[in-house]
Amino acid sequence: MIPSSLVPRGPGRSVLRLHRAALWTWLSLVAATSAALLWAYGPGHESALADALRQCPDGIALCDRTSGPWIGRYDTVSALGTIGVAHLSFLVAGWAGAALVGRELENGTAHLAWTQSVSPARWLAAELAVPALFVSAGTTVLVLLHRLMRDGGRDLAWASWYEYDVFRADGPVAVAYALCGLALGALAGLVVGRALPALGVALAAQLAVVVLGNEYRPKLWPVVSVTGTGSVDVPSGAAHLHQGVITAGGARRATSVPCDFADGPNGANGVRCGAEDGASGVWATYHPESHFRPLQLVETGAVLAVAALAVAAAFLLLRRRTAAASPPAAAGRAPGSVPADGSATGASV
Amino acid sequence: MSEETAALKAVGLGLRYRRRRGHVLRDCSFRLPAGRVCALVGPNGAGKSTLLSLAAGLIRPTEGTVHVLGTGPAEARERFAYVAQDKPLPPQLTVAGTLRLGADLNRARWDAAAAGRIAYAHHAPDGDRSGSLDPGARIRSLSGGQRTRVALALAFGKRPELMLLDEPMADLDPLARRELLGALMGEAAEHGTTIVLSSHIVTELDGACDHLLLMGGGRVRLAGDPEELVAAHTLLTGPARDLTGHTVVESRGTDRQLTALVRPGGPPGDDWRTAAPSLEEVLLAHLRNPGAPDLVTEGTVNP
Repeated sequence: MIPSSLVPRGPGRSVLRLHRAALWTWLSLVAATSAALLWAYGPGHESALADALRQCPDGIALCDRTSGPWIGRYDTVSALGTIGVAHLSFLVAGWAGAALVGRELENGTAHLAWTQSVSPARWLAAELAVPALFVSAGTTVLVLLHRLMRDGGRDLAWASWYEYDVFRADGPVAVAYALCGLALGALAGLVVGRALPALGVALAAQLAVVVLGNEYRPKLWPVVSVTGTGSVDVPSGAAHLHQGVITAGGARRATSVPCDFADGPNGANGVRCGAEDGASGVWATYHPESHFRPLQLVETGAVLAVAALAVAAAFLLLRRRTAAASPPAAAGRAPGSVPADGSATGASV
Repeated sequence: MSEETAALKAVGLGLRYRRRRGHVLRDCSFRLPAGRVCALVGPNGAGKSTLLSLAAGLIRPTEGTVHVLGTGPAEARERFAYVAQDKPLPPQLTVAGTLRLGADLNRARWDAAAAGRIAYAHHAPDGDRSGSLDPGARIRSLSGGQRTRVALALAFGKRPELMLLDEPMADLDPLARRELLGALMGEAAEHGTTIVLSSHIVTELDGACDHLLLMGGGRVRLAGDPEELVAAHTLLTGPARDLTGHTVVESRGTDRQLTALVRPGGPPGDDWRTAAPSLEEVLLAHLRNPGAPDLVTEGTVNP
């Protein structure tokens, strides 16, 4: 149970009261995913490794293909774990749009809160803060367990750090995307005002952010660029981006002739491009694995900035719609406010 | 009239939605003194709910201002209670959970006993408590009247200075209506609470209220003490002839015989038979004749 000193008061507690089912669903989901990741880290990995060693007694690094019942199960569970953690933000976005805000506006319970002693702004703040706490905590736990699973399973891992789902599941961006989903969902709920359409709008908005993140991720940190005369080597584990030829004038060009990839020294990938008239060399760009951390941090910042914009827009929208705390006389300039007899013009009471 | 703070005051209040043409509410000016029990009556679509939503600060007027307890709706939020027409309550909560929600959301002034009295104490004459609510019952399992009871319990628990109740009687049986009116009268008498009740049944609140606002077509048609409003009108019956000098609200009849509801501008001629209209006659005559001039009795607009 939650210690009583940590139970929020006032509107925060009302959020917990109203969304108790969602809270339990979230906790169960985090628990189930954690169990899967821990299984893959511990017993799953152990059994799969035993399977592999039976087929490759000389060491699995030298084995081309390994298969077996436990390897299959391990691959499935670890892949599902990665997909699950990478896509949690969609669940959060959809829930925030449909249930947290959309339904409360649709059935009027938001208005019920606004006419108690809680202003719409405080209501929205509580609606965002309490879920943000649980979403951040749960996602952080899952990211840490996911890292544990991947670090422990490097010998059997087939997914690289730069793959879309792995990257979004393996670091702070997971928390940023989840919080962004919460913010976009809340904004969608406020804009649309009905549960089901808000669900669709929230999911679409979150999908747009995730797709843009995947698309522009390589540009978030300076790439490493290598050149060579005949061929260049891209280190093992690097995210290989582009390659091409260097013209006689020294300009880099994405080549139209195909490039070959061959195993280079120390497991690096050799890039060798076909001879082209006047080409004086080969170039390639990549993100080495050491860029994982800066890429995670920059993307986290960018996604949190989107979340902050969505939150600001939500507060602004709410303020424009409802009567915010402001001197009531300010609206007296509106045309038609002067009654025919003029007696009540600007009168203070 | 009095210098006291108005519980509710509107000056040129209007609201129009951009997409829909025309006003939902237009140029409403009135003043409701504190401590009154006010009936807000008018047909469906007259703008009653809009006026109450504006007063509760749920929507923003496009024109004019509304003052609640001497300030803006947002500043007065803690001091008034509002019960919306459809009585929105979280369906997944229990009755007791809903009242605890009220305590969470009104930490400064929650009166659990007052809320409990409305929700749980059912004063049937023979001591029968079958109408009282089960604290463990889910809101979604309640009938419309029972939900109204919970919504009103939230309003009473807030110990407000002003209650804005949108169609509170609609789902209640006659006994529960009487019970609610009794509770409201008691609240007004004991704490000086100002109460605004809306109803589309114009005569439903007759006798219970000492102030009346009649709305029609988005306007305030009549405002003031019901007795004064009735006294300002006379029912004239007589041979068809000129009614110059009187403000005619409605006139009906044949070529020879005419019945007219007027605000007399002077003593009527000898050939008119005069009668005092009922409140219902005055209200319905105004609703049937949108062109009839509005009447706001002395003291309701001027501070």
